[in-house]
Order: sequence, then C-alpha cells, then structure tokens
Amino acid sequence: MATKSKAAKSPKPGKAGSAAKSSAPGASSAAASEAKQIDDRVAGLVESPLDACASDENLQAVLDILRNRNEPVEVRLAALQSLQAASFSVNAFESSRGDYTLALRQVAEDPNPELRQRVLGLLAREKDGFAQKKLLAGLKNPEKALVPPEKALQLLSYDVHAETYAAARAIVSNPPNAMARREALRLLAADATSAPMFEKILRDKDERAEIRQIAASALQALKPAKLQAHARELLLDTSEYEDIQATSLTAVTQFGDGAAIAADQELVKCVDRLSESGGSKVKQGARRFLSKYGFTTK
Amino acid sequence: MPYVATTGEQTEAQFVALVEALAADPAQRGQLADLLGEEHSHYDQLGTATVVQMRGWVLLALSRVGVDNAALVFVLEELDTGIDAYLVAAAARALRSYPSPNAAFAPFVMRALNHIRLRDEPVSFDGYGEYAVLSAGTSPIRELLATLAWLGPHAREVLPEIEAFLGQRGRLSKKLQIDADRALAAIRDADSADQAGTDNCCALPAGLRSTFSWALGSRRGCETIDSTVFEDHEGAQLTFREFFRGHPSIVAFFYTRCDNPLKCSLTVTKLARVQALLQEKGLADQIHTAAITYDPAFDVAERIRGYGQNRGMRLDACHRMLRATNGVDALRSYFKLGVNFIESLVNRHRIEVYVLDAQGRIAASFERIHWDERQVVDRAIEVRKEITGESVPGPAPEPTATPQGAKTVSPTLGTLASLGVAFFPKCPVCWAAYLSVFGIAGLEQIPYAAWLQPVLVAVMLVNFASVWLRGRSSGRMSGFYLVCAGALLIAVSKTGLDWDDAATWGVALTVAGSLLSALGARNGKSNGEIRQRKGESVSGLRA
Repeated sequence: MATKSKAAKSPKPGKAGSAAKSSAPGASSAAASEAKQIDDRVAGLVESPLDACASDENLQAVLDILRNRNEPVEVRLAALQSLQAASFSVNAFESSRGDYTLALRQVAEDPNPELRQRVLGLLAREKDGFAQKKLLAGLKNPEKALVPPEKALQLLSYDVHAETYAAARAIVSNPPNAMARREALRLLAADATSAPMFEKILRDKDERAEIRQIAASALQALKPAKLQAHARELLLDTSEYEDIQATSLTAVTQFGDGAAIAADQELVKCVDRLSESGGSKVKQGARRFLSKYGFTTK
Repeated sequence: MPYVATTGEQTEAQFVALVEALAADPAQRGQLADLLGEEHSHYDQLGTATVVQMRGWVLLALSRVGVDNAALVFVLEELDTGIDAYLVAAAARALRSYPSPNAAFAPFVMRALNHIRLRDEPVSFDGYGEYAVLSAGTSPIRELLATLAWLGPHAREVLPEIEAFLGQRGRLSKKLQIDADRALAAIRDADSADQAGTDNCCALPAGLRSTFSWALGSRRGCETIDSTVFEDHEGAQLTFREFFRGHPSIVAFFYTRCDNPLKCSLTVTKLARVQALLQEKGLADQIHTAAITYDPAFDVAERIRGYGQNRGMRLDACHRMLRATNGVDALRSYFKLGVNFIESLVNRHRIEVYVLDAQGRIAASFERIHWDERQVVDRAIEVRKEITGESVPGPAPEPTATPQGAKTVSPTLGTLASLGVAFFPKCPVCWAAYLSVFGIAGLEQIPYAAWLQPVLVAVMLVNFASVWLRGRSSGRMSGFYLVCAGALLIAVSKTGLDWDDAATWGVALTVAGSLLSALGARNGKSNGEIRQRKGESVSGLRA
C-alpha cells in the first residue's frame, strides 16, 4: 500500500484559510474562524450539524474546511462528522447532496489516511462508482491503494454488484495478510460459485476456527442443505474442535429439518453424549438441541 | 505486486471505439440502439458500475447523433426505472435529441425527477469512465430540468406536479433554481403553447416497442425447455412442462438481490396484484402465475418464498416462485431474456413479463417500461379463450388460420344439422323416397339409421349455444333470435301439425341466423382490432 504523508496533523490552526468563509453565521461561522482554538472550532461544527445546510454559505464554509488540506485534521474530521450528521436529515440536506458528494470525492485521495478512509467509507455506503473504482484499482495495484486491502474489501462489500468477486478470490488464494483473507471470505459469502471452497474450508482442521465459522455462515446462506450435512459429520467426528462443534450444533438446532433429525438416532446419541462430556459451549448447544427436538437430557 | 490480475479494460476500450465508430457513420448509427440490449455480449462478465458507464456512453453518443424510435424505448426505460445518476442524466440529455418534443415524454421526465432527487450527484460527460470530481459537471436533476425546458408547453399536463416538486423549500440548490425557473417559464410559455397543439400525453410515438404479441399460428414451440427443472418456493421439483402446459400463465422475472426498487421488487408486488385481479375474475386456478429468478444459484427456495410473501404473493400449486435448477441457459435463450451476468450475479436486466399460452409458448411480452396489471390480465384472458373457444371481446388475438377456421366450421355444422333434423326421413320408406328423388341407386349401400336423428339434434343444440355465446360476446343478438325462431319452426314441423312449410322456414331462419352471427362476430373483432399486435405500443395507456 502506498504511504501518504500526514500533512495536516498539526494541532495549530491552519494558515491558508483562503477557502474558509468568516461570513457564515452561527456555529459554522465559529468553526470557519481560524482565529479560534481547534477545540472551539470542533465543538462549533459538531454541536449543530444542521447548521451546515441552513444556507448555501454555511454549507460551502463547512465543505471548504473539509477540503482544505491546510486545516488541522481534527477540524476537518469534525466538519466531515457535521456533514454526515446533517445528511441524515434527508429533506433539509437534499439541495446540498450534490456538493457534499463532490467534496467527498475530492477528499477521497487526501494525504491523511484516517480522513481518506472515512470518506471512502461514506462514499462506498452510497455505492458510489468513483469510490468503487478507486478501491478496486488499489486491489489491482497496491501502489495506488488508498486503504489497506482488507479495508478495501470491507468497503466494496457494501455493494453486491461491485466487480469484487474475482478480486476477493484472488486474495483468498494469494493473501497479502490474514485479515485481508478473512475479509475476502466474508465478501465471497454472497457468491454462489464459492460454495465448494467454503465446504472445503469448513472441513479443513488446519484452518483457524474463525475462518471455518465464516465458511459455515457462508454455506448457510448459499447451500443450507450442504451445511446441514457437514454439520452432522462434524458433530460425529470425535476429534473435531469444540468451537466448530458448537457452531455445528447451532446450525442443526436453528436450521435443521426437525423430522429428519428426530429420526437420526446416530446424531441424537452423539449430541446426547456431547451434552454430558463436551466443553461448556458444546454442552450448552447440545442441551438446546435436545430440548428443541423433544429429547430429555440425562 | 498486484493482488489481483487486471481484466476488463480491453473490453471497455473496444466497446468505446465501437460506439464512436457507429456514431460517426450515418449509415450505421441505427446499430447504437442494439448496443443497449442487456443481453449483448459486450456486457458479459462485467460489473454493474462498468455496465453503467458503457450504457451511459451509448446514450451520450445517441444524444449527439439523435435518438430515433428504435432507441427511444431505452431512453424512456431509463427515465422510467433508472436509479443511477449517470444513466438518468445521460437519458435525459439523449431525449432532447429526439426529433421533436412530445407530451407523452413529460410523465417519464417527471417520474425520473421524483426517483432521482435523493440520488442527485454530479456526473461528468467529458470522457468515458470519468466521474465528476470538480464542480464543472452536470447532474441528473440539471439534465432533467433542461429536458423539461425542451419539452416546453408539451409538459403542461405535468405542470402542477412540477410546481409541487419545485415548490418545496430547500429542494434545489441556488444553481439549480435557475434551471428550474427556466424550465417553468418554457412550460408556461403562452406563445409556444399554440404550437404545442393538443398532442396527447398518453400517446407515445408509433413504433415504440415495449409490448409484443404473437398470434396463435406464429408462436415458437417450447420443446427446448420442456424438460427444464425448477424448484419452487417450497423446494418441490417440477419441470417446465408440468407447470406451464395445459393452461395460460403469466410469468415475471426477478432476483432477490436486485437493488432497484423500481424493478424486481415492484415487479413481484405487481404480480401479486395480478393474482388478486385473477382472483376477482374467478380465474385464479385457470391462469397460473410464476415469478422466476434470474439468480437461481443464490435464490434458494426459502429466500424466494420470503421475497414473494413479503410482497403479497399468493403461493400455492397454481402460483409459484421458481428457480431453475438446470437448463438455465435454455430458459434464457427461450425467453430471450434481457439480462447479463458477472459470474452468476446479474449485472443489468430489464423489466420483463410474459403471457404463455396453454402450450407454454410465448403469446405476449411486456418489456422495459412499466406494465399495467389489468392489461396483462386481459391478455392472459384472451389467450385462455383460445382454449375454451369463446370469442374474444375488444382487443382480440390476431386472426389466424386456425381459430378462424374453427369459428367458421361451427355455424356451418350447426346449419347442416338443422337441415338434417328438418328433413330427416321418418321411416325407411321416406328414406327410399328421398334417395329416389336425388336419383341415387344402390339403396342397400345406404341403410336407414334411426340413431342419426338424435345426433343431428345434438349438433343443432351445439350450434344454438355457440350462436348465443357469440352474440353475447359481440353484443349482437339478432342472429341468435333468428336461430331461435328457426329451431322453433323445425320443432313445430316435427310435431305432426301438418304445416309443411315450417321445416323449410326453420332451416332458412337457422341459416340466416348462423350467418349473421358469424359475420357479426368477425366484424366486431375487426373493429376492436388488436392495438398491441406486432409491437405496436400500448405503454402510453399507463401514462
């Protein structure tokens, strides 16, 4: 990932200020005034977010703070927070939405990583094509990456229609780090063609429990019947880890076919045994299973 | 080192070059509209954002060279159901290149304004794949306001809606307010109002193709998908043949992950309303409905059941949510579905609803622009009448050899039956006398058959009922009254009242009544003829 300089990290008020409008009234005016202390400006922005869209002048003043790389990052983050809060007021913010989106796109490549990541997060939640393009470009070429790959995958997963499955699959097979692989698997949980991969991961005892649980969750979404079959096998496997047995018990208890399970004596006996001899999580899950399907615990 | 291999750019570059080449060549510009078909191979295996950019680029090319009738439906579709800022803005701009403003466009522009107002964002038309980052770009609202100004007095029908929309305080920024004032002034312009004339807000230009219909004899067989296996919302397996043969059906396509509320979610909600209409008419078990998912790999039984139930769908043996478990490609090919995919996920699709006949063949399709539930139900009822033999009131199926032939045979047979009954010989001696009158020799070869008389009576009664049904549906009962009188006279002639001419008059009246009935029904059908044949638009009815 490309490293960006932390240009605007100074606690002192910025000097440029050409964009800040001192004519804006109210809290936004106070925030725009470079003469004030950073804390006062932050408070001015955060206290009354709707002030930002009270007039075009106010909005432009807050947007200018957000865009201005010479402003202290605390003030810019507060401006972003204020705008974000104002955007929840759909009607009041309607006329400002275009300018807001434009400003976010301008800040998406800001040198400050925290601001950049938050802005990309806001755009990605709106399924913004510009943000998706930048995030995908970063996955394809780490030199252009604006956020770490795991974060990029997380943000891209907001839009199921983003062009991300191929990218996620490539990261699963060649992960830059463990977190990126985990996020790629989470993203692929909505990809029907990845079901065989999840079956393999679920049965692989060399995988971490967290990854196997992601695989179980993905199978429940994609191939629920397959998960039931695997969960049964995992419960019958006496060498299986406790976390995975607990997950398997949850699957068969919550989503199993009652009639089929009641008739499955081998499974019922196994769960009965687990209710006595398993670890605490397994015992709890096993008792819930027996109770749900009408078997009495010893 | 890249984590991910780079793909797709080559396809996009080729596509852009193709669009530019087509736009530059007046002889090939017509092909630009073809590139807007969702099923086009250029869109295969691309993400939705890329497809948006590509389609937007075609719309922008059209805005430069002019939108014709073939492309118009794509432009109106985007305004009708689009929720992407770039595409709506491009469609609004493209519409202004249509040869002349038309009042029928105004409701589409108004709907687009309402849909896009909370998604208004800057867009850039400067180059392919560009996003607006500086303030110099345009936006969908700005383009739509410019299109309203272009429509001018042609948008008078929606003026109250526009005023209500623009009248809300804080809805538009100061910059857009100038565009809004310009649009309002153009619409209210009294000088241009006379030129706008009295064009109908509901009549779209002729040739706009959004509704298609196929006459009985011209429908494609569905043998290719007869064995396609579906799983329904309960997980039950059945083939296309099992569910779609033996009765007409209304079929809509959808997928649960569609994020456009104006497409799949609304389509399934409207299909639920179709079911309610069928229920009202007592046809819920005679006309089946089905919603088939484009995304069978993800849309498992439980998921489609929940999706349908949440939108008011009635789900039972006649009305199902379906996912194809095999033969998806055959299904896509048979319906010529307007859809494309990135892997198994839909990247773009159109709205599409079909009416199938009792053989599972496509009798009608309603595409792209929002369909009217009643119109679809009426078409399905027409298709159903092809089986029951009832004549079709109002806009009826296109006359074809088979049904016309059948309807001509009916009165002829009935009339012959009346003749038979009237002049049926009472005994073997009469039979011999008749044959001698006609000079027929070899009496032993044509034996007298007493059973023939009840058969002829039965056929006459069938004619009686047929003329009544035809009269009721066409609203012309005179033929029926003549046939009644004829039957009465024939009955009288059989009672032994010694009125020799009664049978002759009875036959004459029956012939006259039958002919009158047959001609009346045919004229009625011609008069109401089939607005929606051969691609003629009916989508304007909903405006």
